[in-house]
Amino acid sequence: MTKQRTLLILNFFLLTTLFGDAVDKNDDKDTPTKPTHAAASQMVLDTMQAELDRGRTELAKADPSPYFISYTVNDRDSLTIAGSQGTILNSQNNRSRFADVSMRIGTPDLDNTHNESRPSALTSGSLPLVDDKDAIARVLWQLTEREYRKSSRSYENVKTSKKVRAKEEDESSDFSKEQPSRDISPEKTPLTLEQKKWEARVRKLSATFRNYVDIERSVLVLEVEDGSRYFVSTEGSRIESGGHSARIMALATSRAVDGMELLRVETFSAESPDKLPSDAEIIAKIKKMGEDLAALKKAPIAEPFSGPSMLSGRAAAVFFHEVLGHRLEGQRQRGDEEGQTFTKRVNQEVLPTFLSVADDPTRTEVNGTQLSGAYKFDDEGMPSRPVQVIKDGVLKEFLMSRMPVKNFSQSNGHGRNQPGLMAVGRQGNLIVTSTKSIKDSEVRTRLIEEVKKAGKPYGLLFDDIQGGFTLTQRALPQAFQVLPIMVYRVYADGRPDELVRGVDIVGTPLTALTRIEITGDKPEVFNGICGAESGSVPVSAVAPSMLFSEIEVQRKQQSHELPPILPPPGFDPLPGNKNAKEPSKKSTGGEQ
Amino acid sequence: MKRQPLILTLRSLLLASVFLSSHLWAQSSTPGSVDNDPLISSLKTELERSRQKLQLDNEKKPYFVQYTVTDVQSLSAEAVFGALRRENQTHIRFLRVEVRVGDYKRDSSFGNGDGVSDLVPLDDDPIAIRHQIWLATDTAYKRALEILTEKEARLKQIELEYQVDDFAKASPVVSVSPLLKLDFGGEEGRKKYRAMLESASSLYRNDAKIQTFSASYDFNVLNLYLLNSEGSLVRNGREYYSFSINAATQAPDGMRIDRGRGFAAAKIGELLDVTHLNTEAEKIIASLAALRSAPVVEDQYQGPVLFSPDAAADVFHDLVGNNALGRKPNLGSPARTGTEYANYFHSRVLPEFINIVDDPGMATFNGKTLLGHYDVDEEGVKAQAVTIIDKGKLANYLLGRSPIRDFPESNGHGRSSNGGSPSPAMSNLVVKASETMSRADLEKKLIEMCKDRGLAFGYFVQTLGGINSPRLLYKVYVKDGHRELVRGARFGDLDRRTLRSDLAAVGNDAELDNRATGIPMSIITPSILIDEMEVRRDNTTKEKLPQYGPPPLGTIATTKTGN
Repeated sequence: MTKQRTLLILNFFLLTTLFGDAVDKNDDKDTPTKPTHAAASQMVLDTMQAELDRGRTELAKADPSPYFISYTVNDRDSLTIAGSQGTILNSQNNRSRFADVSMRIGTPDLDNTHNESRPSALTSGSLPLVDDKDAIARVLWQLTEREYRKSSRSYENVKTSKKVRAKEEDESSDFSKEQPSRDISPEKTPLTLEQKKWEARVRKLSATFRNYVDIERSVLVLEVEDGSRYFVSTEGSRIESGGHSARIMALATSRAVDGMELLRVETFSAESPDKLPSDAEIIAKIKKMGEDLAALKKAPIAEPFSGPSMLSGRAAAVFFHEVLGHRLEGQRQRGDEEGQTFTKRVNQEVLPTFLSVADDPTRTEVNGTQLSGAYKFDDEGMPSRPVQVIKDGVLKEFLMSRMPVKNFSQSNGHGRNQPGLMAVGRQGNLIVTSTKSIKDSEVRTRLIEEVKKAGKPYGLLFDDIQGGFTLTQRALPQAFQVLPIMVYRVYADGRPDELVRGVDIVGTPLTALTRIEITGDKPEVFNGICGAESGSVPVSAVAPSMLFSEIEVQRKQQSHELPPILPPPGFDPLPGNKNAKEPSKKSTGGEQ
Repeated sequence: MKRQPLILTLRSLLLASVFLSSHLWAQSSTPGSVDNDPLISSLKTELERSRQKLQLDNEKKPYFVQYTVTDVQSLSAEAVFGALRRENQTHIRFLRVEVRVGDYKRDSSFGNGDGVSDLVPLDDDPIAIRHQIWLATDTAYKRALEILTEKEARLKQIELEYQVDDFAKASPVVSVSPLLKLDFGGEEGRKKYRAMLESASSLYRNDAKIQTFSASYDFNVLNLYLLNSEGSLVRNGREYYSFSINAATQAPDGMRIDRGRGFAAAKIGELLDVTHLNTEAEKIIASLAALRSAPVVEDQYQGPVLFSPDAAADVFHDLVGNNALGRKPNLGSPARTGTEYANYFHSRVLPEFINIVDDPGMATFNGKTLLGHYDVDEEGVKAQAVTIIDKGKLANYLLGRSPIRDFPESNGHGRSSNGGSPSPAMSNLVVKASETMSRADLEKKLIEMCKDRGLAFGYFVQTLGGINSPRLLYKVYVKDGHRELVRGARFGDLDRRTLRSDLAAVGNDAELDNRATGIPMSIITPSILIDEMEVRRDNTTKEKLPQYGPPPLGTIATTKTGN
């Protein structure tokens, strides 16, 4: 009954940043392990390889014996700083070395991972941080032992239940046959985690929120990560990959007088902290968030509506990620629980013929914007490659991990997971392209024409969509819901656009997607974190703006908790409060 | 067993200097003049604002508002097989806001309806700190209004047998102590403690049958702030430090054998040093080896069992201390507490020669500082010594500000860990007896009792891993008094009734057990002799031995960097 919650959901944002598992170290001293990077990675890889070889030889004598074992180690050095209102709430420097031991017993056709037993192929744990070969090998041995118990038990269960159950709809095997890969990434420049410098930056940026009387909760999080991943398998793969990432996430909330919760989120991501946008640029965005929230607070509630609408490129990108992307993940085509929206539509038209969709993790940037969903090898050690899922409106392929589905027996490098979870087919960089495009300003003109043609007073312009969730399970309606944040009524009579609040786009994917009439000519990028059964992975979605002949919206569910009774501390003119300010003109005030 | 590592954080030098300056200031301060502490002045301002102005339309105003901030500094680390696996340093401030609507007799406390938690900034910025307090107060107040309505509706449907107030009145306490700082000796100290863990956990090398071996430490310094609308203003510190060792092996028949030992202290200087930690690690390895080759308990035994002070501490903690907690039962329940002692007030629950006191005021025992010592509890009430058991009879309960039938006031036992919601808890649980005997006499008595019943042996338990799971259990033979370690036993019927009817004798060998897990506390108890209880075979399924052995060890000690 799980919902696919995707793209920067509030809870994820707060919980993982503030309450993630932490491994700290001092920032101004050497870390526990500091021989050169190359020596360290060589030691880790060699130890993994030796222990893997030993395990394979030893377990070959056992009954049952595994036909596949892999070790993945994620070595991560990261810094997470959370600030609010110009102060630091929390600042952590984490170092961790996390191992996933994966094992398969049986045959690729039927193994211990069959159906719901998929998690039986994985046992995880933390490895020593210092480069002590004996200790690392011994922990790997422990995990392998534990995984052997788990997978052999599961394999017995799989065999038994196979005997008593009816024939399955999709008789694909459980594990694809693939060529091993060997690749050692070129040595990267190690990242210095300058905690103090970036704490100062978080203070400076988060202080901007203090100027807005309507903002209740605000958090600004800076995350910098320097990671290496090591992968070895009994098939002969040996891969070292790694990279840096830096991300700033700013979040602010407010509430309308009727209790509706209002939320704005902005994220900025780059390969390293120095490539993040300038303070001035980020502060401008934060100011816009403050102004947007003040405007949303006063905005009228949207009426249920069905009619011509326009999605900005950014909104269209999120829309495609949610509505189409998740349904093209390979494992959604298999299993009795899945709705299988697209399973039987291969080689059929599912989009207007002027649209094509590719998921291309090999692409690192679009028009100068870096893409978060890029990688060289997926989490099952498969080389990434561009996958043309939809060509000229026709469905061609799914996003495949090493779990085969009917007619698709191979991985296409989309097996992804967060450490500690089993990989499934996931999106990387989902890129929508169009052969029927006009200038963005003309799309707007076309929207007004469509509105007039439909005899409506206005159409809707979706400027920003925060994220959403998609239900792909069979027991639930095959519907999607995305959470638009900045939505405007565009009037046919030339009145200025009017911001409205409380809108949810609803509909079913197969009909919604066929109503795209034309697109803009400028692709926009949305970078975010996508959550699903294999955990949180960084993704990008890229799309031009789009005109829909019809989009249906409904009123959003809302809480009825009123805005705060007293004004925020900085805005309450207490006697002797030097910092007190009168509420700004924009404000509707907290006081009643 | 282990406290969850606290959330992260290494403070920057800048913040450390802010901290340090307030620290220095605090030492020269006198109670009542704390306006220079930015955190206290922010809490005060917001408390005053809420008290004066917080009211929704024509709804009730709060009658009680309380702010607590728990400033936690911690350092913890773990090493496995001689190598550091985790090292965390944390500084975080937890805020808890309690808003009560109604009055002391009946208010909005109901389930978890009386507290809202959040973080407050580590920087001493009044506006930013107050912003967090403001939001939490607003949420807590609105929730209190809703809960009171819900509670009143609920109360209309049930018949209350007893009228018990919802909240105990307490006199305001003003108590300001100097701020405490976590001082582990800087980078040198950190390296020293890391090296200790690596040294102790590397001893696995001496025994090829050891499957798991890790050592960890956990240092915590808390500065607690409490302000309430009754006028209490408290700032005081708590500190606790611990080492622990965890090990596991398998007997040749597959039985899993685990041992975990913690060594806690209330002062960093009272912790084990490197030699002693290694000695303890060696002892654990030796005990695992002994357990592996020890015979399994086969036949059911009914007879006397002697408990060491360490094992007796678990017994008194679980069967007396926990039952004496004055936890309010569910709404409408006629029971006095939610524990097994609910109906035993003034009844005999132990032999007449036993007295048990819980005394937070007790600071040391045999030169060691007690972990359960404090002056003011986490609800701002002065600590009091409470006689729980008086000549074997249940004389009192441990109480916070949530009254129970016949006990309208707190006795200073409202405690919490790391900024959580306070509830009644033990502090220093001290077991005393009017008649005692030496350990040697207790052992003699054990043998005599066995002889009288025609038993070939009795049992002596050294340590427990859970009240019914003996870890180190020995058969003591009647014929020559020799001891034999056994494994795979369970206690069948050790419960409250056993202590009342079968506690035969008590030693004069009281020992201190400092416990840093959960809410820090101490237990002081001598050995006890139970005259009859059941020891039987534990029927947990045995696992197979590993399919293959551990990786061979490098012949030369691996070079390590970083220390």
